[in-house]
Amino acid sequence: MEINKQLGSPASFVDQTVVPGDVVLDLSTMTNKTIKLGGGLRQDCDSISVMKAGKLRSSKPNKYWVESSQKRYVPCVEDTILGIAVDSKADNFLVDIKGPALAFLPVLAFEGGTRRNIPKFEVGTLLYVRVVKANIGMNPELSCTDASGKAAEFGPLKDGFMFETSIGLSRMLLSSPTCPVLEALGKKLSFEIAVGLNGRVWVNAASPYTVVVVANAIMNSESLSSTQQIIMVDNLLKSIQ
Amino acid sequence: MEIDREDGRTQNQLRPLACSRNILNRAHGSASWSQGDTKVLAAVYGPKSGTKKNENPEKACIEVIWKPKTGQIGKLEREYEMVLKRTLQSICILTINPNTTTSVIIQVVNDDGALLPCAINAACAALVDAAIPMKHLAVAICCCLTESGYVILDPTKLEEQTMKSFAYLVFPNSILSVLPEESLLVGGERMEHGIITSVTHGVMSVDDYFHCLERGRAASTKLSDFLRRNLQRHQTNPSKAG
Repeated sequence: MEINKQLGSPASFVDQTVVPGDVVLDLSTMTNKTIKLGGGLRQDCDSISVMKAGKLRSSKPNKYWVESSQKRYVPCVEDTILGIAVDSKADNFLVDIKGPALAFLPVLAFEGGTRRNIPKFEVGTLLYVRVVKANIGMNPELSCTDASGKAAEFGPLKDGFMFETSIGLSRMLLSSPTCPVLEALGKKLSFEIAVGLNGRVWVNAASPYTVVVVANAIMNSESLSSTQQIIMVDNLLKSIQ
Repeated sequence: MEIDREDGRTQNQLRPLACSRNILNRAHGSASWSQGDTKVLAAVYGPKSGTKKNENPEKACIEVIWKPKTGQIGKLEREYEMVLKRTLQSICILTINPNTTTSVIIQVVNDDGALLPCAINAACAALVDAAIPMKHLAVAICCCLTESGYVILDPTKLEEQTMKSFAYLVFPNSILSVLPEESLLVGGERMEHGIITSVTHGVMSVDDYFHCLERGRAASTKLSDFLRRNLQRHQTNPSKAG
């Protein structure tokens, strides 16, 4: 039983839980095709094997990745994340993004940023930023503007409350259509929320009471299905009315 | 011929296994592994930037801290730390996050024999929980040789103390693959039949050692299955974070 012989298409492993070491794709049967590999998979000569435990997913025509939830973030280009400023140098701010290395935020990466109006961030400022460069072995680079140079809500977040979650939960909160928890909360309460793909969530509302309710509801919704989430939010709101 | 063991197990029978992951809130990955009464808690922090002084900055560095149940940290703990560090270095992919340190902290909750294999299993499960990239998993087992020449697996502390010699063996886990079996052979043998680590105490003959290896390999498939089922169960129901 050690090695399960699966002759045939790689569809046999898709949507199944895989463990590091499993070989999921045989490249020798797929010459002349381009395959895009996402997180959790690596190429080993002629085969693709799994690096992280999780569910193997694929999307047509040729993308494969392993979906798993963890607490540390792997920086990826074009992700929007919440970082905490830890230091400032002459050219960059050093920002902690819950990844393997500190990220650099250039002092000029702001809308209308020049050497004369460099923003001053205290240590501990929460920043909503976009990842511009993420290469292995180098510190990631961030920016407070979108691709066309506009500010677009990036920058420091004032007031409110920030809490940490797992990467899987923050992905779920950002999924479209809107996540059931946020919809159910939004029907009864008014708040603003910023979700970073690195597992940080910021919530702000008029009263601290609303902030606490929203934060608790989100933290409880990690392992619940959609209907369970709606029921949980309803119970929470009823019990505090 | 069967020999009698105190708790009524057969020669090749393992104690009941239990594993739970994501039990510590602050650690980036955590797992507790118990084999019978031996229980070990492992926590993983990282990867964090920076490596230690004498480590190669082009690779990720793994640091192990072993905390015994009681007493001061001495030579035995340092030896366990070194064995664990070398084992984990060989299963993790070190080139993915260069110049980072991943800390693995092992806390012994109860020691009732086969402590190092239990710790290796717990550390491996904790690394999976922290999503550290790995080539494959490791499963560890303790095989002892009795005075009469029989090999028994997974001894309790009392049995360990009366043994002539014992060996801690660590094997790679069994993998599922889409490739036909032939192309997965490494040097003519299946990958699971390789061995990652072997620590022996006492005196045993070469034949006895190979006998231990065979029994250990057979038992490692059971451990592999258990680990795989445990990971599947947890995937569908992730625990709360933070």
